[in-house]
Amino acid sequence: MNALVGRSQTRVAVIDLNSGNLLSLQTAIEAAGCELKTVQKPDLKMLSDFDVLVMPGQGRFAYVMQQIKDLGWYDFLLEWVRNGKRLVGICVGMQVLFEGSDEDPEATGLGLFNGRCHKLQHPKTPMVGWAQLNSYKLTMKDQFAYFVNSYAITECPFGTAKVNYGSSFCAAVQRGNLYGFQFHPEKSGQFGRELIKHVCG
Amino acid sequence: MYVDDENSNSDLTARVIPCLDVAYGRVVKGTNFKQLLDMGDPVELAKLYEQQGADELVFLDIKASVDGQESALEMVRQVACELSIPFAVGGGIKTLDDVHKFFHAGADKVTLNTMAVEKPALINEISTQYGSQSIVVAVDVNHEADGSLAIYTHGGSRRVDVDYHQWIQQVVDRGCGEILLTAMHKDGTGSGFDTDLLAKFGADFPVQVIASGGAKGPQDFLDAIHAGADAVLAAGLFHRGEYTVGEIKSFLIDNNIKIRKTGC
Repeated sequence: MNALVGRSQTRVAVIDLNSGNLLSLQTAIEAAGCELKTVQKPDLKMLSDFDVLVMPGQGRFAYVMQQIKDLGWYDFLLEWVRNGKRLVGICVGMQVLFEGSDEDPEATGLGLFNGRCHKLQHPKTPMVGWAQLNSYKLTMKDQFAYFVNSYAITECPFGTAKVNYGSSFCAAVQRGNLYGFQFHPEKSGQFGRELIKHVCG
Repeated sequence: MYVDDENSNSDLTARVIPCLDVAYGRVVKGTNFKQLLDMGDPVELAKLYEQQGADELVFLDIKASVDGQESALEMVRQVACELSIPFAVGGGIKTLDDVHKFFHAGADKVTLNTMAVEKPALINEISTQYGSQSIVVAVDVNHEADGSLAIYTHGGSRRVDVDYHQWIQQVVDRGCGEILLTAMHKDGTGSGFDTDLLAKFGADFPVQVIASGGAKGPQDFLDAIHAGADAVLAAGLFHRGEYTVGEIKSFLIDNNIKIRKTGC
């Protein structure tokens, strides 16, 4: 957070990977008092122009990874993280921070975290709805979050919140400035709004 | 599945969903799908229900074909900017392009009724393109005088020659993510959800079932969840102010149902 001291508004860029509607997320980030820009393609100037990069993802793992590559984000994201800058992945945008997914075994993820996504062990998939987070983080402890997913990261030493659906999976991960949320903060009511304010603000 | 129990392998909560039937830009309510009464502004009601703790909202544009699609899209955009909970929209959706417009306007899910029956391949198309979580099939079922179960379309006005059990199986096979099961013979009667119908789905049924039609009070919601509903939907009792969403949810929590708590 030190880098942000002295600046009144955090500058947040939302990555548009052509994978779903961004309206709710954009509304939530603006409501958090951030300066918001939506970007389709990266530009090295972004390293100095923005403080936070938010990467939402919907659809299949391989599709989101292909968009990351086709739009030129792959190397940029690795560079962004190497510079210690904040990256927030949401839903499949969190999953692609890992090495791969059973959804599309041939697709390779960004590999910023070790581990893979596995199919949820529950007769009703996708998991759609609200679940209470098991978290030691004050920002998430006992809060209810909105999930829409069929796959999830089951094991990660950087897990910050867990949820059960058939078996336990990682609802959130964090290592330094690298954040991942399997649930949708932009659809998680007042709690979600405050969480977005916390990670973007 | 939603009984609060330490040994449960699911943290998923049962959802309480107010339904807003929209006609001519206003929320309306009818009895047995007829006799429309004005219940207020959709965006204002949506905000009120979110504050009360609604887990999700469903907007059904029941006069969509008369009213035109543009007004419905504008309402969806306004709702998407005002809400921070998910919502589904239905009514007047005929093509994949219509679906795209609603998602682009900010809807999280679409609900198909008439078109699901008339063009079932649309269920597959939506599921393939946007994922099964994005599609809810609204099954309007009526208990006929001869004791059979009949499927209706066109806002409950037209009986179609489709077998109820085969239809349920078909919409699942085609990739719908949720079934919105409206018992027309219960709708607007206040005699409770049809728990017999709900009980037939069972815990291993592969998609979630939203119970609709007949809610009068908190006990009806509890009975529906015990019978097997994953979510419970009601309109009139919320619009008329007989119960707030919060009151229904408090009752369910007091009866040991896993429910999302708000305002704490």
